[in-house]
Amino acid sequence: MSTQVHANLTEEQVAQISADLDEPDWLLDVRKEALAALEDLDMPDVIQTPGRTWTNLDALDYESLVDPLEYAQEKDRVDAEGVDVLSWSEALDEHEELIREHFGSVVDPQRDYLTALSTALFSAGTVVYVPEGVDAEDVKIRTRMNSQSLFNYTLVVAEESSSVTILERQTTGDDVSGDRYYSGVVEAVAGENAYVQYGSLQTLSEETYNYQVKRGHADTYGTVNWIEGNMGSRLTKTSVESRLLGDSSESKIVGAFFGHEDQHFDLGSRVWHEAEHTTADLVTRGVLDDEARSVYEGVQDVGREAWDTSSYQRENTLMLSDESEADASPKLIINNHDTEASHSATVGQVDEQDLFYMTSRGVDPESAKNMLVEGFFVPVLEEVEVDELREDLDDLIYERLRE
Amino acid sequence: MSSDQDHLKETDTEARFEFKKEENSAFETEKGLTEETVRVISEDKDEPEWMLERRLRALEQFQEMPMPTDWPGQPDLSEVDIGNIVPYIRPDIETRGGAESWEDLPEEIQDTFDKLGIPEAEKNALSGVGAQYESEIVYQNMQERWEEKGVIFCDMDKAVQEHEELVREHFMTKCVPPSDNKFAALHGAVWSGGSFVYVPEDTTVEMPVQAYFRMNSEGMGQFEHTLIIAEDNSEVHYIEGCSAPKYSEFNLHSGGVEVFVGEDAHVQYSTVQNWSKNTYNLNTKRAICEADGTMEWVSGSMGSKATMLYPSTVLKGPGATDNHITIAFAGEGQDIDTGAKVYHNAPETKSTIESKSISKDGGRTNYRGLVHIADGAENASTSVECDALMFDNESTSDTMPYMEIQENKVDVAHEATVGKIGDEDVFYLQSRGLDDDDAKQMIVAGFIEPITEELPIEYAVELNRLIELEMEGSLG
Repeated sequence: MSTQVHANLTEEQVAQISADLDEPDWLLDVRKEALAALEDLDMPDVIQTPGRTWTNLDALDYESLVDPLEYAQEKDRVDAEGVDVLSWSEALDEHEELIREHFGSVVDPQRDYLTALSTALFSAGTVVYVPEGVDAEDVKIRTRMNSQSLFNYTLVVAEESSSVTILERQTTGDDVSGDRYYSGVVEAVAGENAYVQYGSLQTLSEETYNYQVKRGHADTYGTVNWIEGNMGSRLTKTSVESRLLGDSSESKIVGAFFGHEDQHFDLGSRVWHEAEHTTADLVTRGVLDDEARSVYEGVQDVGREAWDTSSYQRENTLMLSDESEADASPKLIINNHDTEASHSATVGQVDEQDLFYMTSRGVDPESAKNMLVEGFFVPVLEEVEVDELREDLDDLIYERLRE
Repeated sequence: MSSDQDHLKETDTEARFEFKKEENSAFETEKGLTEETVRVISEDKDEPEWMLERRLRALEQFQEMPMPTDWPGQPDLSEVDIGNIVPYIRPDIETRGGAESWEDLPEEIQDTFDKLGIPEAEKNALSGVGAQYESEIVYQNMQERWEEKGVIFCDMDKAVQEHEELVREHFMTKCVPPSDNKFAALHGAVWSGGSFVYVPEDTTVEMPVQAYFRMNSEGMGQFEHTLIIAEDNSEVHYIEGCSAPKYSEFNLHSGGVEVFVGEDAHVQYSTVQNWSKNTYNLNTKRAICEADGTMEWVSGSMGSKATMLYPSTVLKGPGATDNHITIAFAGEGQDIDTGAKVYHNAPETKSTIESKSISKDGGRTNYRGLVHIADGAENASTSVECDALMFDNESTSDTMPYMEIQENKVDVAHEATVGKIGDEDVFYLQSRGLDDDDAKQMIVAGFIEPITEELPIEYAVELNRLIELEMEGSLG
């Protein structure tokens, strides 16, 4: 590792954060262990083709980006009836055992350097607890980052036969000069027959380096759905993952991104089919303009015991500029033959014929192009089952096209 | 290690090495690939100085490069012991004397060929692995006709002597430099045998040029080099049949293929490979295609323990086209990691990749592909289609395509599907009186038809037979 933040990071700082949040000792220990592990951990895997690495996380100067004790932020939490949507301190007060059981059970706190860094330093935490049988819609979490760096953590626990829809917004608030760093970890546990839908809309400022891991476990008949909207940041490295651990569990990962200027998106979608009769559907669409670059990797991994699997993936990228670059790698790993799986990826530009058709009907070329780009996102927007998120995404696309 | 290997090690290797030792005092018989070994090969072949220099440079590069170990999901190469390579080269030369008759061939190969029903004449040629038959018997008549047109078709060793300038210009310079990968470098250092094909401008070779046995008779088939130069507006179809006769007890095959497709020229390179199941097949094959030229790769990969092979094409001139059709079949203990690479470096270039794989009895197939569209390759279009068929739950089938797109005026599409053999299809065929095995074979034959229909009939028949035999579990 060429760049390391832990050189000027101390146990005292970590203890300070933990004390600020009134954490029990076991959690402080987890943080300390993560801090100590930084020494040996590697950066998260980035998309690689033989002989080529697409995102150089090592080159980031974390030392100058991360200010462990500065974590100014605003957080709005809107809960729904029957659901606990709690700040970290509150949650520890009320549900310590629940947290102890699930914290780090889905995303390994030391899975890589950046995750461990997050574990050691997270200050903005939220727990969404959905008790058995409760149906909750429209839980909202808004995270506004007002400092140079922010480490965010969310734990979602949906008990048996419950359901919840969560919408998270990640934005930057107060201006801070220079580059910034946002790190987010989301763990979701869907119990038997539970349904978790987690949508996030990332509109961080374009001076922000953004690292995120979202991972869900689905029990029997459980569902974990992700909606992933990426508009902001200078560099985004994200991985959205579902492990289908129970028979007949399901997951859908819907992604939309729109990169412009010199934005760089390194986007991963991954599903592991580990039980029988599981279903996954991965749909991502993105548009690139100016010098933006996207690297996309979708993995459908069908395990040896995953009988009767259905797994589908589509990734489409539209390129608006000749300086942009789009790389895609949809991967299928199939270890059980009782599988129906497919994946597809396309890259292209705005269709000339469509454009001609519209301009010949009197639409000026710029508007025609914008309409076609908006139209390109429609199949993905249709998959977004959270109205508010869909509308916001649509607006953001509209705005960006007219910038 | 087989007893054959032991035998060869004890006798021929030492004898030969020691003989050389008298001439080159520095030379030692130690394991590992040394400069001396390379010098000995070059001297044996009476090569010009420049070729020796190239070999030595390749050797240097080979020694500097690490083993490829960081590819996601790559076959396990830990058994490939570079330190043991030298003894593997030398005895190979000795197979000339080692397998003089059909009966001397390993039983597995004899069996295969009996079952394949390879015609008696071919069997005879095969029994001449020792070299006396060469391929002239089969090709003599055609050769004369080509020769009149200025077409050259000979083995590489001979080409170095007789067509030195052509070889010097094209051999591992622009197409497959030894620096490409560790095994290309190894190949550059120790290559031997292979085919040289030269087709002059405006010349069409109507009948496929076939290399089937000849490479065997050259002995060191494990590192054979194929160089095809098709000048502007020419056309040639080269077929390489690498069936079990290429069997060797040595466990590494690292061939090199370079194809130069001139403007408006058309080259098809077809190969059906059925390596013995202890072979590591680590090849480098590449074509450079000039304006409006067309390159077509048709390949069937059957045998080997592990294969890493990604024939690639550089579409260098505007309007150049590349088509890949590949089929891989992995049975028990096999890991066939194969795919296609295409670089679109010019406008209006086109490529299509059609890949089919079948895995059975615990075998693994992987499609690993790369489509690169460079900035400026306007109106490039590519489509990749992968289909995988799996027979049982011990098998694995992966797809890892990569697409790197730096130009916006393009049309790129990738699609892959995986499925088991349809129970309904099998039931349907059974209800029409076919037994289970026949029904499955018929489905597989239908599945691979896009490949077989590109091949001349005898190769299509062979491919079908090989697959039938694999499915019966009676091969290898």
